[in-house]
Amino acid sequence: MELTAFWIFSSLAVLSAVGVVFFRNIIYAVLSLISTLIMISGLFFAMGAELIGALQIIIYAVAIVVFYVLVISTVPEFKGKAFEPKFILISLPVGFLIFLELAFVSLYGAWKSNTGIFTPEVISEVSNVKAVSTVLFTKYLFPFEVASLILLVAMIGAIIIGKKEHVIDEEAKS
Amino acid sequence: MVPYEYYVALSGLLMVLGLIGIAVRRNIIALLLSTELMLNAVNIAFVAFDMKLADVSGQVFVFFILTIAAAEAAVGLGLIMAIYRLRKDVDTETLTELKN
Repeated sequence: MELTAFWIFSSLAVLSAVGVVFFRNIIYAVLSLISTLIMISGLFFAMGAELIGALQIIIYAVAIVVFYVLVISTVPEFKGKAFEPKFILISLPVGFLIFLELAFVSLYGAWKSNTGIFTPEVISEVSNVKAVSTVLFTKYLFPFEVASLILLVAMIGAIIIGKKEHVIDEEAKS
Repeated sequence: MVPYEYYVALSGLLMVLGLIGIAVRRNIIALLLSTELMLNAVNIAFVAFDMKLADVSGQVFVFFILTIAAAEAAVGLGLIMAIYRLRKDVDTETLTELKN
């Protein structure tokens, strides 16, 4: 059952990721990105990470993709060539080599890390959401607060960068 | 149970696809889309190793990556808007003031 889910979700995710990279029209690329994100969220659900799967849909597939669609709607259609033709020939074999290296290091590297206490029995007793949020709000409380600060800084920065340079202040003139 | 190696191989494949996208595309927005792909590949690897090591710390880090991705998209797209307003162009081939 889980194996079937894995093959379906992963093949669709890889197919959509190829679409993100190789669609000429940027709107199609964004739609493929939504498909990839939803398939990856399905993979998270299949792995038993329910909280992350739900957050993936809410934050990525809704919030971030809406950013992209808004910006694409303001930037008109891209006219130049979509690809750098000389880089395709170089990047495909190099990418394949990097993939082999990543796979080798990940599978045959020394993953002698300590195992945690959240074995499947514990996870089935307390739910996944409770386990993740317990660790998030005890051990990683300070990084959590820093993450909120980063979001605030990014919001202010995006507003300041994105606003128009010369706004004529009518009230200040009169 | 699916062996965790499958998930790690999928993560490597998505990472390489994002890398190829960054090398190949010429539209700046497409570069940001490829970055999102690479961040998602890291997310899959985190959750897969969590499954192997019976821990949940990786999922906490996926949460942080989601936060950083939202911040990155906001700032990056704001920069793209500013560049477009200044130059009326989002082609990486012509935006080469910093070269030379």
